Amino acid sequence: MSAPVPDPAEIDLRLALVRHRYGDRLTPEQLDALREAVQGLVEQVAALRKVRLTNADEPLQRFSPFRADE
Amino acid sequence: MNPVFRPVRELAEAVRTRQVSPVALAEAFLERLERLGPRYNAVVTVTRQRALVEARRAEGEIAAGAWRGPLHGIPYGAKDLLATAGGIPTTWGAAPLRAQRFDFDATVVRRLEQAGAVLVAKLAMVELAGGMGYRQPNASFTGPGISPWGADAWSGGSSSGSGSAVAAGLVPFAIGSETWGSILSPAANCGVSGLRPTYGRVSRHGAMALCWTLDKLGPLALTAEDCGLVLDAIAGPDPHDPTAAARAFRYADGDVVGRRFRFGVIRDVAAGAEDAVRDAFAHSLEVLRKIGTVEEVTIADLPYEAITRTILMAEAASAFEEMIESGAIAGLTAPEDRFTAYARDAILAKDYIKAQRLRGLVVREADRVLSSVDALVAPGRPALASPLDREFRSAARGNVPDVMGAIGNAAGLPAIAVPNGRSPGGLPTGLQFMGRAWEENTVLAAARAWQGITDYHLHHPPEVS
Repeated sequence: MSAPVPDPAEIDLRLALVRHRYGDRLTPEQLDALREAVQGLVEQVAALRKVRLTNADEPLQRFSPFRADE
Repeated sequence: MNPVFRPVRELAEAVRTRQVSPVALAEAFLERLERLGPRYNAVVTVTRQRALVEARRAEGEIAAGAWRGPLHGIPYGAKDLLATAGGIPTTWGAAPLRAQRFDFDATVVRRLEQAGAVLVAKLAMVELAGGMGYRQPNASFTGPGISPWGADAWSGGSSSGSGSAVAAGLVPFAIGSETWGSILSPAANCGVSGLRPTYGRVSRHGAMALCWTLDKLGPLALTAEDCGLVLDAIAGPDPHDPTAAARAFRYADGDVVGRRFRFGVIRDVAAGAEDAVRDAFAHSLEVLRKIGTVEEVTIADLPYEAITRTILMAEAASAFEEMIESGAIAGLTAPEDRFTAYARDAILAKDYIKAQRLRGLVVREADRVLSSVDALVAPGRPALASPLDREFRSAARGNVPDVMGAIGNAAGLPAIAVPNGRSPGGLPTGLQFMGRAWEENTVLAAARAWQGITDYHLHHPPEVS
């Protein structure tokens, strides 16, 4: 499966959240490294989005209702 | 008898027939752990007091004719993410948690105690099982794990001490954990056998959670046979872990001589591997033809690594939310572990759910391919043990392909890594057998057959032999 090209605007937007939450504890070098990490993440989820699923394709996680007496 | 580098089966027979006492065994391995453990940064805590209590109990029971089975009186080490009572620290490899203690034993530890095994050490591991994105071996407060096969060779992660302690003869077997590669990687780097069971085969109760839907616990030992014996003791349902399957497991230790297997190889599965790994794998395929057929299989084009990586990153970020958001990760050893996890906040809920939906395709595709063979085979790890001061390539980080690891862990499939050669520099390489869900006995049989016609598992590091 060919690698999708990352969208620079999406990298900036996602990185903005990281910077907003943690920027005060990060050095410029660490922020650069985080940009690289977010870019990898955007590439990764772009690969997921490329695969089309149907409405019937459920997450592979089972929810079980709970009763303490059972 | 010298108990070092004897398989569990042999030690068990010596214990059962009272040729060797559990206390003598415990003392022998405690001495090695204390003397040699620091050389490999393999040990967090030597549990001498608890070991001698358990060993004396085993000795008394066996003397009274109450032999519990093949693990009775056999020493072992547990990765330091398994909770242990009695004031023994459980550090998760992380400096900020050096003093962490629990007041109960993890289910695996409890089951091994019930089988009569003797806990002699809590073994070193990569901090938080590597969940914070480490890039190089020095990522534990106990120092970088060192393979007994080379003073500058990484033992692998994250079950570093579990691999090196078995390889150096510090314990007859160990328990490790795998989320993506953490049993198979140290098994390959240390030249030992490591079994990743099916997800849900072994209770995770009392084990540090890295990724709830990916974490598995399993044994590392000298032989595939020993891995089967240990799995037999630790597998089974557990009311404390709802993901522990109700299916029973009994190790099938019947003779595999003459059994023929069907092996599958995913096209180009070794393409991204280092030369020595690829060469050893090519040779292994020839050898495997003595015990079965080898055929190429094709697998659907899906972003396997991206799926597994998204699940791993998202769940790890949530599992360690408090440590990350409080900034406590700044106290971790690896500089990159002190901030890299902040990037995980950029994963959207939709991304994680998409990965979990795609996981449905992965499990069906993996089962389709595996239903026509006994096992898929591949290198145990695509790279040789890296030097201690260098960044390693990692599938979990995305800079080396590992379709087998991505599929095997996303689909929760059993796999075993066994030694299959050594590089020109003397570092071990590994071969993995991966089977359908719940087919541990099939992959164990294949690995046992492999070890019946090869002798890689009989070689031990020269420094400690």
